[in-house]
Amino acid sequence: MKHQSKLSEEQLQQSRQVGTEQQTQQPAAREFANAEEMLRYDAAHTPVPPAIAQRLQKSTSELPPPKLAWWKRLFGGTHP
Amino acid sequence: MAEPPADLASPEFSRLYAENNRAIYYLALRFLGDPEKAEDATHDVFLKAFRKLDQFRGEASMRTWLYRIAINHCQNLCRAWHGRHVFSNVDDAVWENAAAKTDSPLRVLETKELGQRIQKALDGLSDEYRLLLLLVADEELSYEQVGALVGQSPDAVRGKLHRARKAFAALFEKTA
Repeated sequence: MKHQSKLSEEQLQQSRQVGTEQQTQQPAAREFANAEEMLRYDAAHTPVPPAIAQRLQKSTSELPPPKLAWWKRLFGGTHP
Repeated sequence: MAEPPADLASPEFSRLYAENNRAIYYLALRFLGDPEKAEDATHDVFLKAFRKLDQFRGEASMRTWLYRIAINHCQNLCRAWHGRHVFSNVDDAVWENAAAKTDSPLRVLETKELGQRIQKALDGLSDEYRLLLLLVADEELSYEQVGALVGQSPDAVRGKLHRARKAFAALFEKTA
């Protein structure tokens, strides 16, 4: 009986531990004031595929370098 | 922010991409509702921008200019691609009497599938409301800039935004 009760204590401890882990893994509920706030959260958690930049690198390397806008050429400036 | 490649044709263009790729990709993703099409669209939008950099007149911000290219591109794709937006032609007035209250916060218990739920809700909106919400969600844009992009006055944007929020909330509740 003692052995059994010790085992059950260990099991109890383990189950408590698992319960705690499950609790910490469980995502907290979120509240958004409105649709835009939810979309902002979603946008921040949506990764941009790195393939886009790789494809752009390839596509733009086949083209002549961009010209500066006429007003930039006229007034100076290096940024688009 | 996604890491820009070491060399994207020019330092200016690399910077342009680094500062705006997330905004343009997200608009394309949620407007088209398809990650592969959004990837293609984002590539095409930046490539168009690269080719037309000399036509940028500096009257608007770069972000607004890119959005204009992206909106035209996505709308052209949608026109050529009928049928996906099953509910997109629903009259927005349908949502006017919806149970959802605009002032009530939107609660989610699980953020894991939030993107899918958002997509479903956005798909149920008209193109106008969907675009409006996506643009207003960008904190870098003022109501004036959003209005210029959708061809409305800032006051009209505010009015429609109220209805778009309500419609979104009603549709989002249904995705639970």
